[in-house]
Amino acid sequence: MRGAGARHTILPESDCDFTAVTAQLRGVTVQVYGGRTGVGSGVIWTSRGLIVTNAHVVRGRLARVVFPTGHAVEARLLAWDGDSDLAALETNTGGLMAADIGDSDALRVGELVVAVGSPFGLAGAVTAGVIHAIPSRRPSGPRFIEADVRLAPGNSGGPLADSRGRVIGINARIAGGLALAVPSNVVTRFVASLRRGAIAAP
Amino acid sequence: MTALPSLSNELAAAVEQVAGSVVAVNARPRLPSTGVHWRPGIIVTADHTVRSAEDLTVVDREGRTLAATLVGRDPGTDLAVLRIQDTALPTAGLGDSGSLKVGHIVLAVGYGPRASWGIVSAVGGRWRTWRGGEIDQLLRLDLTLYPGFSGGPIVDAQGRIVGINTSGLSQRLELAIPASTVSRVADELIEKGHVSRAFLGVGLQPARLPEAAQRALAGAPEIGLIVVRVQPEGPAAQAGILLGDVLVSLEGSHVASPEAVLEVVAARRVGSTVHATILRAGTPTDVSIILGERPLRRR
Repeated sequence: MRGAGARHTILPESDCDFTAVTAQLRGVTVQVYGGRTGVGSGVIWTSRGLIVTNAHVVRGRLARVVFPTGHAVEARLLAWDGDSDLAALETNTGGLMAADIGDSDALRVGELVVAVGSPFGLAGAVTAGVIHAIPSRRPSGPRFIEADVRLAPGNSGGPLADSRGRVIGINARIAGGLALAVPSNVVTRFVASLRRGAIAAP
Repeated sequence: MTALPSLSNELAAAVEQVAGSVVAVNARPRLPSTGVHWRPGIIVTADHTVRSAEDLTVVDREGRTLAATLVGRDPGTDLAVLRIQDTALPTAGLGDSGSLKVGHIVLAVGYGPRASWGIVSAVGGRWRTWRGGEIDQLLRLDLTLYPGFSGGPIVDAQGRIVGINTSGLSQRLELAIPASTVSRVADELIEKGHVSRAFLGVGLQPARLPEAAQRALAGAPEIGLIVVRVQPEGPAAQAGILLGDVLVSLEGSHVASPEAVLEVVAARRVGSTVHATILRAGTPTDVSIILGERPLRRR
């Protein structure tokens, strides 16, 4: 039995942490108008303006990116990979606060996660839940992180983050009420290959 | 910032704590359900997910497939018990669902493991399912039971299993069967292979009583239950109940609905005697009925 004092510390502290995590995440989440109907989301991956989003959010070679500040820029498509459902956009904007990237291989089923995006166009909307299942190690198994988090169209390309605000996935699909996200380690490899010039834009 | 990561760690630890005792149950085509290694060699799952009584297997966390046999099933509470030979699997760490309060954080765990989280949405008293089973406590959850989660555990913040989830008892609500009910039903299934339920062996239909009949009865009830079916050789038939008799009270209390009768009968043991008041040709008559055992429904 906890004392009466302890009863009112965990929840307010969690609450406080929660607002800090969501504020941090909203600061690194952008809206992406990629030539498809509606709006998608994206994550500021580097302080020099590299944006990661879903391949299915971007149709052409140009996209419009709206930063959390409301500042909008034209972005150029750097790379597009339909298989992993990832795309990288270059905004040529410097001095940005980039996302803190987590280790998706260290995820545990049941841990807390937070998603930020623009569900139905509502920029910066936050939903929370837990990790439902982790990607299978078998090559034939599912490649996505599954999360018990409510998403809607417009969350695509946005971050899925852990309880410390570290991005551990890019929300890509909704299946049977579950959020499916591309693991951050897959995104890291995608971005690294991009730097080596291995993946060219279509 | 430590509170949120601590909460997150504890949720993951709670899943980890039960994951070893959670298995996939292959007892229906396509989608496996979830089961819990409740006691050494005993797997508990949701009865509605057991479509076949043969060639049953369970798959543990390591992916090992183990042969299982059906010990018994109770559609009333939607529970089924299987037996496995391998008892090296960890067994469930059980908690007391009586300590659950509305608002408590809980996790539902499916085989894999997979998880969903939410809170206890409502806690209530003893209730009877639409299939006639008695559940010690109503546990309604605000979380998602994903496909295959039926038969899996509901886990409290300390990582203790406080019940079994099922979508088989309500189409609209997420419900859990409390651990105390699971243990009680499992005991009976292991002992007898089925859960015996007392019954009268009559079909009843509410009917408005004529005023003269109302006046003849204590408390002047307006509604009685007309006997529209009598099970041949059943308890009511043996007590002399005839088609067209009107049941007005059981054990001294007025019964105005078949549910009220079920309430009285189900709370009593097979073989015990209930005292009924019936109206026959307008005349109140007292009858003693020895409760029989409800026959098992064939599927």
